[in-house]
Amino acid sequence: MSTILILLALLALLLTGLPIAFALGGLGLILLLINDLSPIMLAQGLHSVLDNFILLAVPLFLLMSNVLLKGGVGRDLFAAVQSWVGHWPGGLAVATIVSCAIFAAISGSSVATAATIGTVAIPEMIKRGYRPHFVYGLLAAGGTLGILIPPSIPMIVFGVVAEESIVSLFLAGIGPGLLLALVFVLYSILYAKFSGAFTPLPKASGGERLRATLRAIPTFTLALVIILGIYLGVFTPTEAAAVGFAAALILTVFVLRSLSWSDFVDAVVDSMRTTVTILLILAGAKIFAKAITLFRIPQDISQFIAANIDQAGMFILVVCLVLLVMGFFLEALSMLLIMVPVLQPSLASLGIDPIWFGIIFVIMIECALITPPVGLNLFVIQAVAQARLSEVVRGVWPLILLMIGTLLAIYFVPDIALYIPFKL
Amino acid sequence: MLKRIDRLSDAAGRLSAWLFVVIGAMICYEVVARYVFLSPTIWAEELSRLVQIWAGYLAAAYVLRERHMIRITAITDRLGPRGRRLAEAFSLLWIVVFCGYAVWWGMEIAIDSIVVGRADSTMLALPLWFSEFSIPVGFGLLLLQAVAELVRLATGAVPPVSAGETTV
Repeated sequence: MSTILILLALLALLLTGLPIAFALGGLGLILLLINDLSPIMLAQGLHSVLDNFILLAVPLFLLMSNVLLKGGVGRDLFAAVQSWVGHWPGGLAVATIVSCAIFAAISGSSVATAATIGTVAIPEMIKRGYRPHFVYGLLAAGGTLGILIPPSIPMIVFGVVAEESIVSLFLAGIGPGLLLALVFVLYSILYAKFSGAFTPLPKASGGERLRATLRAIPTFTLALVIILGIYLGVFTPTEAAAVGFAAALILTVFVLRSLSWSDFVDAVVDSMRTTVTILLILAGAKIFAKAITLFRIPQDISQFIAANIDQAGMFILVVCLVLLVMGFFLEALSMLLIMVPVLQPSLASLGIDPIWFGIIFVIMIECALITPPVGLNLFVIQAVAQARLSEVVRGVWPLILLMIGTLLAIYFVPDIALYIPFKL
Repeated sequence: MLKRIDRLSDAAGRLSAWLFVVIGAMICYEVVARYVFLSPTIWAEELSRLVQIWAGYLAAAYVLRERHMIRITAITDRLGPRGRRLAEAFSLLWIVVFCGYAVWWGMEIAIDSIVVGRADSTMLALPLWFSEFSIPVGFGLLLLQAVAELVRLATGAVPPVSAGETTV
């Protein structure tokens, strides 16, 4: 009973427009007070949640990708990929997806990926006769690769909340990320072939290719160094992020010479803004999670699930449906922070691999990011392209279906995710 | 007075932004020390956690002032100016009360740590109050900013309809 009341109270608070961090934290505080517990737990919770070395990967990866972003790396990447595949049928669309996938390997955010690649790719594709709704949908969905291909901020947060290895989560994201990118590429080629609505680029000359590729290679190398360094255990994800940040600075200041002082200040302030927004929600969620544990809510839900659902598949299906509905109105990380502490006790009892579950969760977040009415990648593309939201939505539906198809593939073949971290 | 609070929040936000850069530098140094000098530091990990706690809470007021906190606006955006002001007032009051608790009990644990002499259980053994004071300070700034925004609201400012915001 109290479970339903508390969840309803949370929903009501969220709908008043109260910042999510304080809806969670404040409700947690009220629950502590009702339970006659000292609010000293509030202060201790606020302190311990940020006293975490792993979490430092969030600001540092943001600093790294913001520096690269301000240094115009998105443009360079797109130009390089385009010089190789631009003359294919649907070549620009393919270049867009491949650029998203590469940028995803240096950025942990899907919005940043969609905005960065979108800014260069959208005008280019429209100029070449691609239908606008196809272009918008492709960018909105392609951007979500940002959180599936490591590094990934939702994976870091999932790892911190669920106390699972960030390294395993990152490595488990590679297979599904590449698969999804491949599915999008095939879709682009087929769409272009059958709709015929595009003008292929002239084939780039060897010299053009060489020039464009040389400019993109340092970024590509940086992405590889980071993921290989983490894989080989040379550094932890947090250290990788710090090294990546330093390398990004050296790259944009000395090699590409594309980062001015004011660009750097912008990158630093932007990173702070996003980081602190995330850390505050995390702190609020921590207080809330502490409080609901006192009310035994995760245990109650776990018991309820155990009594009604005895198959892992059924459990995943139900979770996905709940996430799909939540995704209509809740922002991605908040969804993760509310659901994971509640569901975690059930994972062990159903024998579900938490890393695999984490990847499925991240793909559900990707779907949530592009489903209307509150799909934030849709808004980003709408703003970047100055388009109507309805047109973005029209273009994104086929890609949502492809994403769900990929999710099913990972469900039936868990090795797509788990082979790299555990069997390689 | 309101302007002064704004400036204070902005300054704290800027400080926080650069503190994250300092963290990056410390951790890079740690990696270099380990692989190049073959002698890992004993301070990098602990100090970077300390700095993260400060940077995280110092900028809370700035993030509120810039309206960057994530919220669900599906309903409030459909309200008229009056409804939006009411909803905004409720949010700010809620934040003020929350901050009150955080400041009070944050002071409580920090002072208690000084009295008892609690320290981190690491090589460096920094006193715990070094980091615990960030809570009363950060939430104190946030409380001030929230009160300032309430005063603005009472004197006629209408909260704007917000666009969607996200973290990732």
